Amino acid sequence: MSVPLSQMWTVATYVLKQRLRRNRRYPLVLMLEPLFRCNLACAGCGKIQYPGHVLRKHLTVEQCLAAVEECGAPMVSIPGGEPLMYPDIGRLVAELVKRRKYVYLCTNAILLKEKLEEGIFAPSKYLSFSVHMDGLREEHDEAVCRDGVYDQAVEGIREALRRGFRVTTNTTLFDGASPIRMQMFFDEMMDLGVEGMMLSPGYSYSKAPDQEHFLRRQKTHELFSKMLSNPKKSWKFNQSPLFLQFLMGKWDFECTPWGNPTYNLFGWQRPCYLLQEGYAASFKELMETTRWEGYGHKSGNEKCKDCMVHCGYEPTAVDTAFASWKGFKATVAATLTGRL
Amino acid sequence: MTTDEHPLEGWDPGPLEGAALADVIEQAFDYRGDVTLVRENGSELVGYVFNRNAEAATPFVQVFATDGDDPVTIPYADIRSIRFTGRDTAAGTSYAAWLRRREAAKAVGSRGA
Repeated sequence: MSVPLSQMWTVATYVLKQRLRRNRRYPLVLMLEPLFRCNLACAGCGKIQYPGHVLRKHLTVEQCLAAVEECGAPMVSIPGGEPLMYPDIGRLVAELVKRRKYVYLCTNAILLKEKLEEGIFAPSKYLSFSVHMDGLREEHDEAVCRDGVYDQAVEGIREALRRGFRVTTNTTLFDGASPIRMQMFFDEMMDLGVEGMMLSPGYSYSKAPDQEHFLRRQKTHELFSKMLSNPKKSWKFNQSPLFLQFLMGKWDFECTPWGNPTYNLFGWQRPCYLLQEGYAASFKELMETTRWEGYGHKSGNEKCKDCMVHCGYEPTAVDTAFASWKGFKATVAATLTGRL
Repeated sequence: MTTDEHPLEGWDPGPLEGAALADVIEQAFDYRGDVTLVRENGSELVGYVFNRNAEAATPFVQVFATDGDDPVTIPYADIRSIRFTGRDTAAGTSYAAWLRRREAAKAVGSRGA
């Protein structure tokens, strides 16, 4: 695993504090969406289908910072939309770094080289560019519905690494993904020099154009087992090893929908990053008035039935690492040996 | 006029109240296009319904108007009707359609080469 020690320490102490306070529901990563606008229209994405006047709006930096303070999570993920299209992205990231938040700026990297050359970011252990890469060139360009994007992303990654930035990748897997091609992709990303990779099965957004290629649970287990049961030592994953083991079918986790709360132009999204069932005006209202028991695999909610996405299950995996010796030992063993 | 691909686009359910109003508000909330809200005083607001709360003490919808910056909150009781006047941005962009466009573009490219 490739999460830096300082970040592991921050997360570990944060989770332990929550457990000591017997706070059963706590946020781990704030999903901060400053805008919905994007320079791609990926087939599996249900995040950007809005009228033009909504797409032209964005949060202010002050609104973003207020949400970060209100939420209190130690990590902030900035997806979108495409965050590099946010006019104040440099100032927002600088303010988050100043507050010692671990920031994952999730980008398709089309604009990365240009923004780096503008000098709006400074390398920091708190900042990682999390570049969207859904596989090798052919698979990635197909997933983002535009040819040439893979090469642009690689160019952006190289430039960021050359300038001393932390770079990770985030990969969404769909039905039909080839384990062998994905293993080749892991090799290619590690050869590029990225710090680590993040993987997740996709979610069947009701508004996404492509409804046919989302993975169901059994297929997810099969795919991830084939990909990861004999991992190369060189492969580094920037996520909880227990989450990857869950995807392989080795753990039976329940969703933690409050683990990655989402804040955007509309407010605090209920109940999670993937479902849009309404908005709360404050984080407190979100936590206190959402009927959490109605979500998750065991709830019987049809929308949650096949979901195994990182935003719901990675917080469970992290919590499990501190909730039992079994979880702790499995995390330590996987971290030290690289075996899943 | 609605179509199979745009089931709500263009729909005008007429005057609404009670459960029928609540039901149409739910559909407006799920709709990824602008709607026209007709208020009890006859005025109209065109915008995107991004939130609603039927369980609040005073049930309300929240709207980003096409010509405004800040969200507008309107009580259910102040809504006479909702017309689905804007384009449904989540419809008509199917994966199959993208594949067809991609294959067509490739064919044009190979002919050009």
